[in-house]
This record gives sequence, C-alpha cells and structure tokens, in this order.
Amino acid sequence: MAGLSPGRYALRRLLVGVLQVFAVATAVFLLTEALPGDAAVALAGDNPDPARIEQIRRVMRLDQPLAERFADWLGGLFRFDLGVSLVSQRPVTAFLTDGLAPTMLLAALTLLVLVPVAVLLGVVAAVREGSPLDRAVTTVSVGLHAIPEFALAIVLVAVFGVQLRWLPPTAVGVGDNLLRQPAVLVLPLVVLLARPICSISRLVRAGMIEALHADYVRHARRLGLSPGRVRLRHALPNAVAAAVPQLAHTTDWLLGGVIVVEAVFVIPGLGTTLVDAVAARDLPVVQGLVVFFAVTTVLVNLVADIVSFRLSPRTEVVR
Amino acid sequence: MTEVVVRVRDLVAEVGRRRLVDGLSLELRAGRVLALVGASGSGKTTTGLAVLGETPPGVTVSGEITVAGREVGPDRPPRPGAVAYVPQHPASVLNPVRRVGGVLREIAERHLPDPPRSRKARRDMVNALVADALRRAQLPADRDLLRRYPHQLSGGQQQRVVLAQALVANPAVLVADEPTTGQDAVTRAEVVDELRALAADGIAILLLSHDLDVVRALADHVVVLRSGVPVESGPTDRVLSQPDNEYTRALVAAQPRVAVEPTDPTDDREDGTSQDTGRLRVESLVAHHGSGRRRRIALHHVDLTVAAGECVAVVGRSGSGKTTLARCIAGLHTATSGVVSVDNRALAPSLRRRSRTDLASVQYVFQDARGSFDQHRSVLDQISRTAVRLHGSRPADAAEAAMAVLRRVGLGEEHARRGPHRLSGGELQRAALARALLARPGVLLCDEITSGLDTLTQQGILDLLAELRATTAGTLVLISHDMGVVARLADQVVVLDAGHVVERGPVAEVLATPTHPVTRALLGAPEREPDELIAR
Repeated sequence: MAGLSPGRYALRRLLVGVLQVFAVATAVFLLTEALPGDAAVALAGDNPDPARIEQIRRVMRLDQPLAERFADWLGGLFRFDLGVSLVSQRPVTAFLTDGLAPTMLLAALTLLVLVPVAVLLGVVAAVREGSPLDRAVTTVSVGLHAIPEFALAIVLVAVFGVQLRWLPPTAVGVGDNLLRQPAVLVLPLVVLLARPICSISRLVRAGMIEALHADYVRHARRLGLSPGRVRLRHALPNAVAAAVPQLAHTTDWLLGGVIVVEAVFVIPGLGTTLVDAVAARDLPVVQGLVVFFAVTTVLVNLVADIVSFRLSPRTEVVR
Repeated sequence: MTEVVVRVRDLVAEVGRRRLVDGLSLELRAGRVLALVGASGSGKTTTGLAVLGETPPGVTVSGEITVAGREVGPDRPPRPGAVAYVPQHPASVLNPVRRVGGVLREIAERHLPDPPRSRKARRDMVNALVADALRRAQLPADRDLLRRYPHQLSGGQQQRVVLAQALVANPAVLVADEPTTGQDAVTRAEVVDELRALAADGIAILLLSHDLDVVRALADHVVVLRSGVPVESGPTDRVLSQPDNEYTRALVAAQPRVAVEPTDPTDDREDGTSQDTGRLRVESLVAHHGSGRRRRIALHHVDLTVAAGECVAVVGRSGSGKTTLARCIAGLHTATSGVVSVDNRALAPSLRRRSRTDLASVQYVFQDARGSFDQHRSVLDQISRTAVRLHGSRPADAAEAAMAVLRRVGLGEEHARRGPHRLSGGELQRAALARALLARPGVLLCDEITSGLDTLTQQGILDLLAELRATTAGTLVLISHDMGVVARLADQVVVLDAGHVVERGPVAEVLATPTHPVTRALLGAPEREPDELIAR
C-alpha cells in the first residue's frame, strides 16, 4: 500500500465499485423477476378482466423477453433513467429525489452531532480512565446501546410528544421540507443518535486508552511536548482511525433511510418510499432504490477507507 | 575535566523484595561515554529509565540522581528534553500515524531558545533546528525523508529519527539502550561513529549494552552489573582486558570470536559426499517481495546443498535475503521458481500444500522467541502440540515426549509448566528449539536465534546447538550476521548480498581469506569498504 497514492487507490476502488453496483443491479433485476405473482394481475384491481390485464402487460412491456427488458433497464441506469412507477407513472428518479431530501437532512444532522459528541465522550472517558465519569459514560453507553430504535422511538413519542406535549410526536402535515418546522426533527435525531453515539464513543475510548499507554505517547512527553498536545496530536489520530469503519457503517445505515424511525415519525424519506413501493408491488421503484443504496454503500466505504488511510497510513486497505 | 552531568548515588530499585538494582553509583561527565554492561535482566534498562525520572510499573526506586544540576526522581523528571533516550526498539516510540518531519518540527517549536514574534522567523528557526538535528543524527535533510511515516523507514533510519528527535530538544545526556542489538557489523560501525560524534559535541552518553565490541569502541568508563549489583568499575581498557572480577572475566570470555581453525574434524569426510547426496537441496531459487509494480526480486537463482549432519551458515547484511531464503525453505514465503527438496523429495513451495511429513521435516526457530509463543498457554502445552499435530501422537504421549526433549535442552518440569512470560529470553529460546526438535526435523532453520541475547546466554545456546549437532544427524541452516557464531558452529558458509550468493565455501577458508568485499565488511575487516557498499 505504501507505494500507492490515495488518488490512484480511489480510482481503482471506484472501478471496482462500478462492477459491484452492476452485480447488485443484475441480482436485483433477476430476483424481482423471480418473485411469485404477476405485477399486471396485481395492478389490474380486484375484479380483473383479462383484456385489462393484457393491456397493462403491454404498457409495462411484460410481454417482451427478459433479456431485452434487462438491457433497456441497464441502459436507462447509465442515463439516470430508472423507468417509471407502475402505480403512478411518475419517474422513479422523482421518488428518489423526494425521499432523499428528508433522509439526507436527517443523516447530515445526525452525523454533525454524532462525530464531535462521540469523539469528545470517548476522549474524556479515556483520559480519566476508571474515574466516576468514565464509569458513567461506559455504563450508560452499554445500556443505551441495548435499546432498539423502535422501542426508544415509541417511548420518546409517548413521553415528550403525548404526555408532556413538548415536541410534535410525528412529522405528519409538515410536508417535504422538514426544516420549516425544526421541532419535528428533535425526536428522530435523538433516536438516530442514541446507538451510534454509544458504539463510536466506546471505540474512540478504547483506541484512546490504547494510544495513551503506547510507548510513543510516553516518549512524546519525554521530549517536552505538553500533555494536551500529546493527547490531541499524537494519541487522538490513532484513536479516531479505529472508529472510522464503524462511522462508515453508521453513515450507510442513515443514508438507507432508517425504516423504523421514518415509520414511527412519519417522515417521507427513502425508508418510507421503499416500504410503500414494496407494499404496492411497484417493482421499478424497488429496483431503483436498491441500486441507489448499492451506490451509496460503495461510495461511503470508499471514502471511509481513504480517510482511514490518511489517518493511519499503516493500515492495509483491501484493494 | 568537564562538568559532571549525571551523578547517581546508591541507586536501589526493588520489585517487592527483589532488588533489580542494588547500590549503583556512577558519575558521567559531558562529552564522555560510560557503559553499563551486564547480561539481560541485570538492571541496565531500569537504571537508564531512573535517569529519565521514570520507573517501570511496580518498581520502587531510592537513591540520589542528579542530571545537569537538578535532582531527579519519580515525581521530579529532568528538564524536558535534557535526557535523550534511544530505546532498544526505536519503532515503538515512533507514532505510526505521524510523519517524521511533522513531529520533528513540533518538538523544535517547543524548544526554541528564544521564540521570535514573527511567524516567518519562527518557522525559519524551527527548520534550522530540525536540519541541524538531522545532520547530527547523520540523516539526509531532504523533504522526502521528512514526509515519510515511520513504517516507511528502515530499522537504522528509525533509530536515527529517534535520535534526531532527541537532539532537537538539545539534550545534555543521551541514554542509549542496546543501540546495536540485532544489527550487522557494518550498521554497528555506523552507530558507533554516530555516538562518537555526539560525544565529541559535548553530550554525555550512558551506553547500556551487552555488546562488548561496541563498549570497547566507544566507552571511556565501564560499570559491570551482575543482577543489579555493580561488581566492577573502571576505565574500559583496563576492565575489558584485565578484568579483576570473575563475572567480568566470564562475560569477556563468553564473547564469540572469529576463530580461523576448522571447528569440526568431520569436515573433510563430508566434503566429497555433500555434492550429490544432499539432505537439503535448494536449486535455482528465485523469490520476490511485493506485487504489481512494487514487486522486487529478493533472491536471484540461489543454489544450496547441505549434507545430513552438516551445518551451513547463511550470512549477509540485513536485507540481503537470508531470512527470505530460510522462509522459502520452510514454505512461509512462496518462491517464484526453483526447487526445495529434502532427502530428494521436492517440497511444495507453499506451507499450505505440504504434507505433515514434509512439515515435520523442516523446522524453523525464530529470532524472537517470545513472539513465537502464545502468552496464555503453558510452554509444555505448546511444545507437545507439535507431536500431536505432526506425528498424530496422543496428548499424554506427546507431553511425555515434549518433556524428554525439554530436558535435553536443559529445561526442567518447573519451567515447562510455566507460561512463556515467566521464562527468560534464553530459556524461551531453548524451549523454541525443543519445540522444533520434537518434530524430528531433517532440516533445522535457526534464524538469528542468539542475537538479542547477552553473551553468556548466547554461549549457552550455542553450546546446546553444538551438542545437538554432535548427537543427532540433523542438518542445520544457521542464519546469522555474527561471524563469531558462524565460526563456532558452521561447516560451510554462504554469503548473500542483495539476493545473490557472492561467496561460499568451507568456514575456515572463507573466514581466513574472504574474497568478496561484503564478506570482509561482515568480518569487520577493512575500514573503507562499507562506504563502497552503501554507495551501491
């Protein structure tokens, strides 16, 4: 790895990523084809008359060979044309952009709070290893990490939304632009933050403790560097590097639209879009979403690997 | 006489009831070199750390230490940077995620004599300080070096970078802990030159070493420690040539010397036969490191034939390919082409495709005995596993066989039941040998197994190897850069340089009349050759 510059490495990974996305796209297309049931029959309504089914089939080109439809669909992917919804005839890309806005907003806000808070908690706990503060942080984070999102979300809604009435319990009626009424974002943010803060602060704490006990930290102090500087410039990069893969995992999870959280708080994000599309057997939308999720996963992991490499150049990254 | 920089009076370091250092006093003046000599575990490092105002966990230190006029103790460290410390393993004190230049500048920033206001003047001063330290540590002051990370440096460069960091802080004393351990003769000579130049600059040097050659070359004064007790002290010339103390005499006598007479009378008998009926045959072995564009060749068509019962030494500078050769024979490194065969049976290039018999036939003993044992299981357990895995013995039989081998290498039941952390380096190396011998190998590969051990322990291991050779018809491949060890044990020598065999022949011949410059340099012979080697 030592001889490979980050730029070349990124390019190489990007090419591999394109192949991965292609593989996912193929798998998704074939799997949705293999699903039992007939989309045309489902769409035709309760009392389908055969002529109507036949008409739908023609409109959806279900009568054409699989290979031809696949080729068309793949060609569309390269033009960012994911086809149209079977249900509403809207372009799939419109569904994506609609759902993406709330999901991105939530993910960005979560990360913005998550990274500084988790790193700070981890560092503070590590620096005072064994102190009451450290024990409190560790105990609370283990406990909190054990609570699943749906449970926490429902409890928070019940307490703050219904009982105390401090915050709106859901985002119903706010519309697409959640920022018009920021109060609706508070509870979802808390739920989204709870577990990642615990896992990442614990990783930072463990990495920081290891680094603080390392010979190179002791040696930096011998050379007259101030304790604060040694912590910040010598120990912290080692500690944060350990948490980067987990952070990437969290980002990926957030960009996938956390279905449970979106469902509880009625946020029209990607998760909700996916659930609705599956329920309506709207295959082009499902396919489009899965391909989109594959792209974000590949990109997030690529960025994470480059960040890890910058932070800890010894790391052998998977080529 | 120059001023006294370090004064230690009645230093006592204890763990529980056991004394690591017992009543050591010494005085070190600016520009002088004082060597603390003794076997491993004699309290050298504890003393060195005490001068830094540090104590290992669980150790209590009493006594009086003054560094540059300031009293030093566990709660009163010396002025930051006043005591430079170069530990035995420099890599451990280099932060893996920081570039060389960044850290040097950071330290320099902290130690500017009188920091100017303007940012530019400040930066210029920092750069000048760093450049000066690099020069004194004999490192090139180029941008390329400053942009590197520690893992991109060689072992020697890492040591010099640690030294340069210390020099930026303008130290009065340098504590150098085993600065030459595990290095070949040429590098050793370079380290000696570096340290000598620093002493000439007025830095007082406390040298902790078991390498008597280096002590002889550098130190003005020697203090000999035996289990923490100073047994002899005096000018180097006197102490190392006419030691008063019995222990010092033993230390000096145990030092392996390059002997020119043949070590084994059976030499002649085997000379004629070794060519055709070799137990171990390596034919035209080619090996590479890395892959893709970073692939570089490590061995160029190396041939080697060793008869049963013969010992061949593979010598060369670090990076010459000796360990790669051993690893290819053992299957730990997959050779690109060429054949390795034992008793005329060709072995698969990769360990994974070798049968149990083939695995048993080649055994490897590593330099780092501690690293080659699992720290959480008893030594006996780990050794008997060899017999279980390779010969399919029942666990009870395997344990019995293991015990028998352990006794042969001089370890008793009480050692065997312990965990590896409770054995000394020498004892562990014996255990590692026992583990290899239990496999009943046709070929035993010993990779620098005595470097890192003090002379007395080293002698014990070499005696054991000599005895094993005499009693078993095992074939020994000895990887070493220590010509003293080679002279003691080997029948044949193969000299490797940059992956090529540059010289080979019977030990007596090669050591007496080395023809290749590398061989001469390894023997420490002419002074001008090393530069030539480095230039290549």
